[in-house]
Amino acid sequence: MSRELSASRAHATVAPATQRRLGAQNLAQFGAYGLLVLLAIFSLVPFAWVVLAAFDAHATIYFQIPRSWTLQHVIDLFTEADGVRLIINSLIYTLGATVVTIIVCTMGGYVLSRFAFPGSRVLLLGILLLRIVPPTATIVPLYLLATSLGFRDTYHGVILVLAALQTPLALWMLKGFFDAVPIAIEEAALVDGASRLRAAFQVVLPLAGQGVAAAGLIGFIGAWSEFLIPLVLISDQDKMPISIGMFRAWISYTQVDWGLLAALSITYMIPAVVFYVIARRALQSSIAGGLSGV
Amino acid sequence: MQPVRTWRDAVFVIAFLFPALALLGLFIVWPAIWAFAQSLTNRSLTGPAALHPQFVGLENYRRLLQDSEFHASLGKSVLFVLLSAIIGQTVAGFFIAYLMARRPGWQLRFTPVFAAIFVLPLAAPETVAALAWASLTTGTPEGLLNRALSLVGAGPVQWLQQYAFPVIIVVNIWRGITFAMVFFAAAIESLPTSALEAAMIDGATAGQRLFRIVIPMLRPQILIFLMLTTITTFGIFGLVYFLTRGGPQNATEIIGIYVYKRAFQYFDIGLGSAASVVLLCLLLVLGLYYVRLMKEQV
Repeated sequence: MSRELSASRAHATVAPATQRRLGAQNLAQFGAYGLLVLLAIFSLVPFAWVVLAAFDAHATIYFQIPRSWTLQHVIDLFTEADGVRLIINSLIYTLGATVVTIIVCTMGGYVLSRFAFPGSRVLLLGILLLRIVPPTATIVPLYLLATSLGFRDTYHGVILVLAALQTPLALWMLKGFFDAVPIAIEEAALVDGASRLRAAFQVVLPLAGQGVAAAGLIGFIGAWSEFLIPLVLISDQDKMPISIGMFRAWISYTQVDWGLLAALSITYMIPAVVFYVIARRALQSSIAGGLSGV
Repeated sequence: MQPVRTWRDAVFVIAFLFPALALLGLFIVWPAIWAFAQSLTNRSLTGPAALHPQFVGLENYRRLLQDSEFHASLGKSVLFVLLSAIIGQTVAGFFIAYLMARRPGWQLRFTPVFAAIFVLPLAAPETVAALAWASLTTGTPEGLLNRALSLVGAGPVQWLQQYAFPVIIVVNIWRGITFAMVFFAAAIESLPTSALEAAMIDGATAGQRLFRIVIPMLRPQILIFLMLTTITTFGIFGLVYFLTRGGPQNATEIIGIYVYKRAFQYFDIGLGSAASVVLLCLLLVLGLYYVRLMKEQV
């Protein structure tokens, strides 16, 4: 209904509207829907195996419709020590890194938003440039650094490295969110005798709360999904996160419990996808340069 | 923004900025510099050269220059970026976004439903994405892709043995194209409609409207996305390593995997560092252009 309406509205602006063009228009729309459906299938098909195998009593590496459904893999994952440990480890690394990122970037972002000092513009652009350095390019010295600091096979070492990787984007995002809070509000608080610190925490921070949440979600997704850093820094079986547990299980090709691995994959995927959907708008605008001025 | 005038302000700024800058300095800037320093030594991961590395000047770079595996790896990375990030994600993604976006005389329904589905490939952690594709491309007749082939009487194909490189290109297109579409569709819909309507009244064809109006107006967004996906794709490691570990016979040894293998499997820290310095320089050039674009944008 709405399509006909909008089509006719559009035609009112485009003169002369002919019947032949309307037919071509419908055909083009039909083709466009076809393409979108194909892309949706392309997006979903790889996940079909993961979803089915997680609930298949006789799961294999192949896609198959389960003959008998079961919740046993999911139950095993959350009751057997190995599965629980992977999940807890991932939560420790990720929550730790997210908390560190939020704290340091909220503080830094506030200052970058409110103060101009010699070199502050260059500093901002430098931080933006750091965003492009992937762990792939620095992993060798990171390993040596972690060794000399005693950070290998420690929770705090991995947490700090993961937090550092999330920092450039989070700092930029939070600066943008603080820029959106009018400076007049905290000036009023300062005039009323509040200290700078109090004005920042009690007046400005609550107003930028959504931004802090968005930066936290994006930081969480990044740290949660990280593979290379724990692959190199963690060799202790008891401290491995989900990503490395999956990799270990996958390369031990012959003795894989596919149902359990699929259940683990789904468990691993759900928080990332849910948070991604919540933070999508912030993510997109962070790419488009929707962030306010340098 | 206010200038820092008093000592109190200065202390406040330094105290609040320090933790973030310390993290960035210690774990990103310093390793980047140290990579360069290490690349000038014969450091190894084990043995005497691990404890007492010696300065060898540009020896590692000379070895890189002569290492045909490094040339191949760099070439594969460039091809990987060109085919998956530039053509597959950006160019194809943009054209499909143009189909999807609402604009004068054109509106599709259910786009929010499609947008929700399109989130999945990028939102899934790379290990899940890789495992899902490993199942899909299993080489035996039971693999889903091979069963699809058998419907038309072809196959089975040993995907990850015979076509490993094309497979990782498709996987990376899969991971980014739908995000590109949703991103570009939002950008197209944010364009003022008056220019397009005027062009339609003047009788401009769909192609003319796309190439003369939409693309020039969206040039900044297109370039920023292009730079970011190019940079990200050069840095890819886990997605490919999980699927193929660089094999078979180095067929998918992109630069990230080359660095990892040299340093952590062959214990050649010097050579691995030299290769990562090359990667860093490449990214720095792209990154400086990206920063310039962002500066114009904001």
